[in-house]
Amino acid sequence: MPTDDSFATIDQAGWEDLVARFDGRMWAVARAFGLSAADAADAVQCAWLRLVESAGAIRDPARIGAWLVTTTRHEAARLSRRARGEVISDLDVPDTAQPDPTAAVVDADFGRQAWRRLDLLGEPCRSLIRLYVLHPEARYAQIAVRLDLPVGSIGPTRARCMSRLRALMEEPE
Amino acid sequence: MREEYLLAALRMGAGADPVPEGVSAAARAVFRLRVPGGVPAGPVDLAAPPGARSSPATDASSGTSPGTSPGTDAAAGEPGAAGAGDESWRPGAGDGRDNPAHVRRFSAAGLVIDLETTITGGRMEVAGQVSPAPGPDARIEVRTPHVGKVRALSETGHFAVTGLPPGWVSVVCHRPGRPPVFTRWLRVRP
Repeated sequence: MPTDDSFATIDQAGWEDLVARFDGRMWAVARAFGLSAADAADAVQCAWLRLVESAGAIRDPARIGAWLVTTTRHEAARLSRRARGEVISDLDVPDTAQPDPTAAVVDADFGRQAWRRLDLLGEPCRSLIRLYVLHPEARYAQIAVRLDLPVGSIGPTRARCMSRLRALMEEPE
Repeated sequence: MREEYLLAALRMGAGADPVPEGVSAAARAVFRLRVPGGVPAGPVDLAAPPGARSSPATDASSGTSPGTSPGTDAAAGEPGAAGAGDESWRPGAGDGRDNPAHVRRFSAAGLVIDLETTITGGRMEVAGQVSPAPGPDARIEVRTPHVGKVRALSETGHFAVTGLPPGWVSVVCHRPGRPPVFTRWLRVRP
């Protein structure tokens, strides 16, 4: 892992350390947008390429992880909009100096804590979020069939359940 | 807390859908795509794309075919390499290509690099022009994460490369005695 002022001279081993630390988080963020595996791979690759081309602009190597996750989210959101038919710029590059500090929650330990909190929610939240999380490409119609809910209610219910879970996660355990 | 971050954490916590090894390998390989000492060329708004292959200043008079110039790599002179002065096709024209051409302009260190990308038969074509023309010793390198192809430039600064895999692409202009200038990476998919 590079230390302060060392990013411009990072070597292959340091780079591979970055990949080992963050590529799982970046992949998870890309897939959280419901992207296909191919599009998620492009979103992750985008973040690494942006890092290579922005190396001279990295001012705080300690925040590279947050920047990588933020950049992946940015690209995944773009590709998600494109998949829905929106016209998007292909050169909308995030500000290197502004990684999102909340990206730190993208972590397996935090995720396990979230699963424990999810059990505190009643149905249909538990089942709906479980399906939504574990099958990100599932369409609302498929989830509706599995949970025996009106398809029109899936989106609002999911939003309400996720809001409740986020609120739970912000409370002390 | 962003919903996508919470979803991602939940997926990681469940051990669901781990990152594929191919994605990790591609990330490791990005390290060799650095351009030490290079100057990044940022995008420039292009209100009226000129069309790299259809500029009035094409090298029809120069007789130079960038794809077959000496000093290029093993891919130089490949069949189907587009000549920079090809006036038979213009951007966005309905000519059987898989999608319309996209033209983008980049600029840095006194150079302007225009790029025009298309997907034809599942392969990516990149044509472009460096302005002002950097001279006979300059080389252009069109790179994807998987392959790089080096071309000499025509007298007017035009170049073209075909047969690339679709995906991410960047162009580096190498000039003797001066820092290389590289474009931001572009995603080119059908």
